[in-house]
Amino acid sequence: MSVLSEISTCIIEGNLADIQDLTRQALDDGKEAKEILDSGLMPGMDHVGVEFKAGNMFVPEVLRSAKAMSSAMELLKPLLAASGVEMVGKVVLGTVKGDLHDIGKNLVAMMCEGAGFEVYDIGKDVSPEDFVAAIKEYNPDIVGMSALLTTTMRTMESTIKALEEAGVRDKVKVMVGGAPVTEDFANQIGADAYASNAASAAEIATKFVSS
Amino acid sequence: MRTNYRVNSGVRFRMLSDDQLQELVDGVLHVLEYTGLDVYHEESRDILKKAGAWVDGIRVRIPSHLVRKSLDLAPRSFTVFSRDGNPKNNINIGPGRAHFGPGPTCPNFIDVESMERRPYVKSDVPLVAKVVDALPNIDFCESLGTVNDVHHELGATYEFAGMFPNTSKPIVAWSYDYDDSVDIHKIAVAEAGGQEAFERRPNYIHYCEPLSPLVSTEDALNKLVFAAKHRIPLIFTPCPIAGGTAPVTAAGIITQAAAESWMGLTIAQALQPGLPFIMGGVLSVMDMSSMILAYGAPELSLFMAGLTELAHYVGLPLWQTGGCTDSKTLDEQAAIEGSLSVYFSALSGGDLCHDVGYTESAMTGSVFQLAMMDESIGYARRITRGIEVNEETLAVEVIDNVGPNGHFLREQHTRDHYRTEFWYPNLCDRRNYEEWEMMGSTPMRDRVVARVHDILATHEPSPIKPETEKVIEEVLAAAEDRVREK
Repeated sequence: MSVLSEISTCIIEGNLADIQDLTRQALDDGKEAKEILDSGLMPGMDHVGVEFKAGNMFVPEVLRSAKAMSSAMELLKPLLAASGVEMVGKVVLGTVKGDLHDIGKNLVAMMCEGAGFEVYDIGKDVSPEDFVAAIKEYNPDIVGMSALLTTTMRTMESTIKALEEAGVRDKVKVMVGGAPVTEDFANQIGADAYASNAASAAEIATKFVSS
Repeated sequence: MRTNYRVNSGVRFRMLSDDQLQELVDGVLHVLEYTGLDVYHEESRDILKKAGAWVDGIRVRIPSHLVRKSLDLAPRSFTVFSRDGNPKNNINIGPGRAHFGPGPTCPNFIDVESMERRPYVKSDVPLVAKVVDALPNIDFCESLGTVNDVHHELGATYEFAGMFPNTSKPIVAWSYDYDDSVDIHKIAVAEAGGQEAFERRPNYIHYCEPLSPLVSTEDALNKLVFAAKHRIPLIFTPCPIAGGTAPVTAAGIITQAAAESWMGLTIAQALQPGLPFIMGGVLSVMDMSSMILAYGAPELSLFMAGLTELAHYVGLPLWQTGGCTDSKTLDEQAAIEGSLSVYFSALSGGDLCHDVGYTESAMTGSVFQLAMMDESIGYARRITRGIEVNEETLAVEVIDNVGPNGHFLREQHTRDHYRTEFWYPNLCDRRNYEEWEMMGSTPMRDRVVARVHDILATHEPSPIKPETEKVIEEVLAAAEDRVREK
C-alpha cells in the first residue's frame, strides 16, 4: 500500500498513534504537503463522510477521524502556508451571548476540522463585540453562531447587526444553528445559512468556500 | 385477623439493589465533594459558603455531611393543591404514587385543526390546559410549548396566564428568569388568597433547569432562590445527554445528574429548610447518527428508572419522563415509544412524569400524543394497581355458589366489582369487526383526533376567582410595560 493510502486508512480508522509518523514518512519520501492533503487526508475524510451518512459510522468515530486529520494538519499547515497553498478555509465559531450551551457548537467545530477547515472556537457566552474582534483577528471565511435558548437565539440577530456596524458583515458568510433555530429564522435575521446539525454545518461550510 | 401477613399491593419493580444504590450515592457525594460545580450566582455561592461548602472562585464543592443534611431536610411526601379546592385534582406526592403531565418549551406545535406542524403560539396555551384538565389520567399541566408570538421575554408569563384559568390541575411553571417567575407567583398567590395561604396550600410547582455538565447557571439560580424564599415547591432538573454532556454509561449519567440536582437541593434547603424539592432530570442518549437527544430511546426509560430508584433511596421524589417520542407524527412509532416509556415510568413509581405529549425529540408539542398517552397511562395504571387478595376477592364462596358449568354474569359479586377490577378503554377499540365497520372503520389516530376535538368543543374548566382575572390583566400589562423599551 502506498503511504498516501495508508494515510487515508489511518484517517478512516481514526488512528492517532500512527498518523503523524505516516505524515512525516510521506514528507520524507518527497511528497508535497498539498499532495498529502489532497490524496491522503481528504479521501479518508470523504469516505468517513459517506459512511456516516449511510449510518455505518457514528459520531464518536467521525470525531476521532477528525482528530487524526487535525493531528496531521499540525505538521502540514506550516508547509502549506510556506508554499502559498490556501487552506480549505477558516471558520470562527461561538455560542452567542447569554448562552452557555455549547455541545452543538463543539460538534460543529470538530466536524469542520474534519472537513479541513482551520477552526477558531471562541467559546460560549460570546458578545457581539467579541465576534467582531475575532473576525478582525482571524479573517475567517465563515462565522458560525449557536444558541439553544429561544431567548438567546435573538442575540444572533443583534450579533449580525454588530457585524454590519463594524463593516465586517460582507467579509464572511454567517451560518446559524441550535435546537430552536429554523431556516425561516435564519433568513429573517439575515444569516447566509442555517444548518440543522453538525454534519450539515460542515457540508454547508465546504460549499461556501468552494463556490 | 391475620398476623405477620405481608401484602404486596401493585406490581413490584426494582432494578438496582441497595448495594448498587449506595454505590451511586457515594459516587454523587464524591463528585460534589471533590469535583464540585461551577455556580454562576453570587448569592447562591454565599449561601453555600455559609452552609459549609467550599467556594473557590465560581467552583463550589460541597462536603458530604452538608448534602446528607439537605437530603434529610427535604420531605418525601407532600401535597400540591388544586387552585379551586377540588381534592380530586390535588397531587399527593409520596411512595408508590406516579403522576403524569406534559412538558414545556417545544418550539413547535401540531395545530389542532390543520394537524400541521407550526410555531407554538399564545392561543395554543388555553387549548393544552383544557385538554389536560379533561383527560382523566393527566395530573398536572405544562404548556407543551414556548409562546412565539409575544415579546420574547414574556413567553412564560403569557403561558402561565393562559394555563391557569383553563385547568384546576396543578401547573408546573417553567420560566425564563426572575421577572417572569415573579409574574407567575403573583397570579398563583392571588388565587390562593395571599402568600401565607399559598404557603399552607401551594397551588403550583416552580421549575428550573441547571446546565450539564456541572454548571448551575445564573438564570436557574435566580429562579431557585426566588422559589425557595417564597416556599414554592421546586423542581431542579438537568438535561444531560449520555455521550455528549454526560458519561456514556447509565450509572455515569445518573451520578452526574444527581450531583447537578443536589447542588440545587443544597442551596434550597439552606435557604428554606423543608422546602418540597423534586429531584430531576431528563436523562437520555445522544443518537450517534442524528446527534439528537433521543426522547424515544429505551435508555431514557432505563436511566429514568435508575434515577427514580436513587431518588427514592435517599428520600426524594423524582421528576420522571415518559409518554414522549422521536416520531414526527401520530403514528405507530409514537405509540410504541410513548406507551412503553409511560408503562416503565409507572412501574418505577417516579413521582411526576413529564413530557407526555412531546414529539420529534421535544421539538414539537402535540395534544394528540398527549391524548393517546392518556389511554396508555390508564392501561399502565390498571396493571400497576395490581391484584388485591382477600376473602372477598378470592371469591371462594362465589365459585361454590355458581359451581360447575354455571356462569358469573348475574352474581352480585360480579356487579360489585366489575367496574373497579376492569379497566375500560376510551380510545382502544374492542368491538367486533362488523360493529367497528359500522362505526366508520376508524383507526386509532382518528379516534384520538376526535377525542381532542370533542374535549375542546365541550369541556368547561372550573373558573378562577374574578379578582385573579384582574390580577392576570395587571400582571400582563405591567410585563408589557417592562419590555416596551427592550
